[in-house]
Amino acid sequence: MSAQHKMKDSIPLFVPHSFRTTESNKTGSWRFLRPRYDEKTAPCSAACPAGEDIGRIEMLTARGLFKEAWETILKENPLPAACGRVCLRPCEKECNRREFDEGIGIRTMERFLADTAARYELKPSLERLSSQNRKMAVVGAGPAGLAAAYFLTRLGYGCDVFESAPEPGGVLRYGIPAYRLPVGVLRAEIEQICGTGFNLYCQKPVTKAFLEEIQSEYDAVFLGCGRSRGVALHIAGEEAGGVEDGLQFLQKVNRGEAPSFFNAQVAVIGGGNTAVDAARTVLRLGGRPLLVYRRRREDMPAFEEEISMALEEGVQLLELWSPLRIEGKGGQYLLTLQQMKTVDTSPGERARVEPVNPQTTQELRVLHVIKAVGLEAAEEWQNPPVAQEGVLLLTNSVIVRGSPVLAYGGDLASRIKSVSHAVASGKEAAIALDILFHKGPDHVLPGLETCRVGNGSSLSMEVYMRGPRCARNRHVVTFSEINTDHFQFAPKVAQPRLLREERVSSFAEIDLRISAGLAMKEAERCFNCGLCNQCDNCRLYCPDLAVVRDNGSGGRSIDYDYCKGCGICVVECPRNAMSLEKEAPPQSRRDRREEKL
Amino acid sequence: MQPEVPDRDYMFPGHVGCPGCGAAIAMRFLLKALGEKTVMVIPACCWSIIAGAYPQSALKIPVLHTAFETGGAVASGVRAALDMKGDTETTVVTWAGDGGTFDIGFQALSGAVERNEDFLYVCYDNEAYMNTGIQRSSSTPYGAWTTTTPGRDWKKMRKKNIVEALVAHRIPYAATASIAFPEDLFRKVAKAKAIKGARFIHIFASCPTGWRIPSEISVKIARMAVQTNIFPLYEVEDGLRYTINFFPKGYLVKEYFRLQGRFKHLTEKDLDQIQSMVEEDWKLLLRKAGLS
Amino acid sequence: MKRVLEGSHSVAEAVRLAKAEVIAAYPITPQTHIVERLSDFCADGSLNARYLRVESEHSAMAALIGASSAGVRTFTATSSQGLALMHEVLHWASGARLPIVLAEVNRALAPGWNIWTDQTDSLAQRDTGWIQLYCETGQEVLDTTLQAFRLAENVSLPVMVVLDAFYLSHTYEPVDVPDQEQVDRFLPPFTPRFMLDTERPCAFNQMAPPDVYMEMRRSIQEGMEEALGRFAEMEDEFKKIFGRSYGAVEPIACEDAEIILVTSGTMSSTCRQLVKELRSRGEKVGILKIKLFRPFPAESIRRRLKTARKAAVIDRNFSFGSGGIFAGEVKAALCDIPERPVVFSFIAGLGGRDVTVGDLENIYMQTKNHDVPQQESIWTGLRPASAPAPDLKR
Repeated sequence: MSAQHKMKDSIPLFVPHSFRTTESNKTGSWRFLRPRYDEKTAPCSAACPAGEDIGRIEMLTARGLFKEAWETILKENPLPAACGRVCLRPCEKECNRREFDEGIGIRTMERFLADTAARYELKPSLERLSSQNRKMAVVGAGPAGLAAAYFLTRLGYGCDVFESAPEPGGVLRYGIPAYRLPVGVLRAEIEQICGTGFNLYCQKPVTKAFLEEIQSEYDAVFLGCGRSRGVALHIAGEEAGGVEDGLQFLQKVNRGEAPSFFNAQVAVIGGGNTAVDAARTVLRLGGRPLLVYRRRREDMPAFEEEISMALEEGVQLLELWSPLRIEGKGGQYLLTLQQMKTVDTSPGERARVEPVNPQTTQELRVLHVIKAVGLEAAEEWQNPPVAQEGVLLLTNSVIVRGSPVLAYGGDLASRIKSVSHAVASGKEAAIALDILFHKGPDHVLPGLETCRVGNGSSLSMEVYMRGPRCARNRHVVTFSEINTDHFQFAPKVAQPRLLREERVSSFAEIDLRISAGLAMKEAERCFNCGLCNQCDNCRLYCPDLAVVRDNGSGGRSIDYDYCKGCGICVVECPRNAMSLEKEAPPQSRRDRREEKL
Repeated sequence: MQPEVPDRDYMFPGHVGCPGCGAAIAMRFLLKALGEKTVMVIPACCWSIIAGAYPQSALKIPVLHTAFETGGAVASGVRAALDMKGDTETTVVTWAGDGGTFDIGFQALSGAVERNEDFLYVCYDNEAYMNTGIQRSSSTPYGAWTTTTPGRDWKKMRKKNIVEALVAHRIPYAATASIAFPEDLFRKVAKAKAIKGARFIHIFASCPTGWRIPSEISVKIARMAVQTNIFPLYEVEDGLRYTINFFPKGYLVKEYFRLQGRFKHLTEKDLDQIQSMVEEDWKLLLRKAGLS
Repeated sequence: MKRVLEGSHSVAEAVRLAKAEVIAAYPITPQTHIVERLSDFCADGSLNARYLRVESEHSAMAALIGASSAGVRTFTATSSQGLALMHEVLHWASGARLPIVLAEVNRALAPGWNIWTDQTDSLAQRDTGWIQLYCETGQEVLDTTLQAFRLAENVSLPVMVVLDAFYLSHTYEPVDVPDQEQVDRFLPPFTPRFMLDTERPCAFNQMAPPDVYMEMRRSIQEGMEEALGRFAEMEDEFKKIFGRSYGAVEPIACEDAEIILVTSGTMSSTCRQLVKELRSRGEKVGILKIKLFRPFPAESIRRRLKTARKAAVIDRNFSFGSGGIFAGEVKAALCDIPERPVVFSFIAGLGGRDVTVGDLENIYMQTKNHDVPQQESIWTGLRPASAPAPDLKR
């Protein structure tokens, strides 16, 4: 009965007046479907060789938490400044937003974060396991070696890195022109990584003898020697003096020994990144480069963007011409080229070519010839062994059991030769070695399996180190699982660049920095596939007020006392960070009354 | 990104709405925007039940449950009483379903708004008599199955355009809103709250039970109704000034109909006809908004 | 102050003196003079009230349900079809325990259209939980309307003040209109037992399941039972201030009467005339005028009637398939006492047909001349069927 104030002579009233709440109705008992927070894997992160948590990186960036975003990269990749410039961006190809309007400029964002961290001289706070009683040697301070040393150090191992060149960085330092990766940026980044705590010894040429010498001192040796020798063309005259190797040419320029070409015509043979880099370097040194490639432009292994910029800058491209011989003649070279034709053009694959019939040739008179048709190990022992007893062939590395354990990584062990694959290889070897030492060889493969990102081959160090990312569902979110109703069309940030005229006259970096405002705007475009960014839709649309915000963590939880299991929260989650599953039989419900995010 | 959402709720969990009830969402949104200085009149409708039985109430504001056809009249009386007591701050709001608005309550509503009573009338429209078990109302759309339009007798009349009927009374404010567009809804309720005189908001509130849809798409379907132009979002001030609040991306009505069991009997031809009816209505609205 | 007032205006004067705060009404003949006069009062400021000119009687009552729930004094007036249209919300008003006052001008229900007096409209609402008070004179109309507010607020039940169409509503009589000060003493400002209050949120009239509904209904009945005693107390106080009272029932010359005419409304006045004449001829006849119909004052009626040999109940109303409604109620009240009068039930004056002194004398004679009634209900003054009407199509 409602508590009415009593008048002296008032009669009792029993009226339908309700003063109590409905909270005693535990409508959760109606439920036969159960929503839960279930963070999943973004396709970009599954595609990233380094397994970076890109969705989360963008989420933090969108909120202006640049340091946290940068640290999130560093959990998986020690080289964001380099990768943010030269990565071949497999992530961007998988971006779900591409099906909506345009994909996210992930690499641009990575570079922005790394540059911002460098600019403010930020020091990351990263998790590091307590020190282990084992010592590791890393041979080669290229991206793979640096990554291996970085991850091994974080796993608690003492680590010595040996590099033959005067400066660390390997291909990053000497193989990539400064207009793509400025030396200062790289130096700062490597210095930052060295802060992790490993020892770096440069100008230490590593030979087989040296390896044998250090064997007793280390429990394992990581070999990341890279490919430093150009592949031969196997044509007459290629050994002629002055026919230069592409990589060696780039290394020379990067060491500061830049020749001058004074408007000279220079033939660059090849279609890969080294060839394109060499051609553009020639251009910047005053020459007139001509790229000679035996297949078509679309078959070139170099990045499309680099090719188009090269052409824009004035590099000439001769497609479907293959060199037959090189003849040195009075300070010049006569190049005889043979015309090719395609014989098999399956889409998505490089065309197969053969000489046209009857044979058609042309002669080319040039002042210099640079050949860049591929790279290989400088010495045979640097190559990993083939499959045999005691050898573990992993995705981007090869582990050979013994004393010490040998781990081959980097370009010589990876199928795809790229900086991010080199990072992946260093990480894979580090994790594999850690498992090997702690649990034994049989656990390496299953152990690696537990820290895969999504369904691909990338590994997550955060998952391996049992960070929060462990809770992530491996399911890779597809575009159809994104609730695009909650997103507006927005154009992708345009990467600002130097003008063509500015580019060709110097080695200044072509891609310019973007502003923080622009970076946040671009990051906001990210779907954050599979991740909760606390948009609050689940709570907003809940008809039963059964989604509760935890004021401490800012997360959400479902109050299963009242949740009727309608599933609206799951559907209205823009990013598929929730799941709806069959409710367990009533007796087991009590155990998980409240499931926190 | 995140809509400007008033954080406080004036509703309790434990109410007895069906899972995925659009009317429950609509109530939550409305009260978030209105705040505690609100007296609510609820004529017979789903919410007469959802609010819970004696001695419970799911709402944190005073509520007067009342007879089916009395939404407009009871609110007039409450307003008059508050005015007599000098309380001009409290908002009097009638919360009625489509039956209580389009049909049985239409007379009292028309009377109240003709008198320009100072109150807000909100119709949450689930397009049939859902509380009694899915019977046809004049708000039931063309093509729909209900328990009183079964089989081949599916409804062959258009849905009554209630907003236009209210606009014809030249009331200060009339608007449509949807549970799938909370920002728009909050804005309209706040705007209506600040206006004196008769105000009407027509909220599209899906009903998984009656529409034969899975409860989880309850909000999505409401959004699609807007995206397909079946339920345009617009507002009319003083019966004259039309503003269309959302311009759809051109979804086809088919996509909306195909998801709902209540329309499953419709043929491609029927759907084509409905598409042209929707387009005709949209053109008419554009013309009123001075956009064609 | 004595004034010559139309019955309708007596109602309006009382509402003005009672300081009703919200009035909602819809016009219907013969109620119109009440609401027109109230409109004048609101317009000229002599009554500070919100007058809602609603679009139907149903909405009139609904609006008052809203206003009364918000804690103000409320009033409406209607008649016949209008009251019938209100039926649903009459239940709502009593179930919600709202002290709404309604002036009901008795008018016949259609078809055929008939605007003249007949009690069936109000008596058909006897089960709605409303207190019903029937009036005989213009003074009684004014006094009863004032009393209605006090009684209603006292027992948290709505009250219907009932007056005959035209015979009362449109008839001018000298009426003593009391001072405001006197009225204020009798009827203090309304103190609601409960009201819609944003400071203390509560849901009114929520669904009441079987486990509570019955007790809530019982509570209404307790209010009704209480109203009988409260009515008497209230009248005592009324008498102290105004010097007048009416009683739930009024016995006239009943002490030694062998035959008692049981009446209500204006027909009681005609009966008074008849009884005066019959008494002068030595007939032992009396009148029992019933004012309070709901709650039904069964005990008072038993006490007044048990000494008579016969009672003739005259009903200006009819319950089809049963009989005169007052007669039925009176019979039910008497059936449990061993020594009880024989009850004759007469139906007279439906649809405003005049009931003259002669007609009533005829009723008296029939009662006197028979030991038992010849029929369950004796329809008086029926005329033979007229010739068939000409065909419209011709």
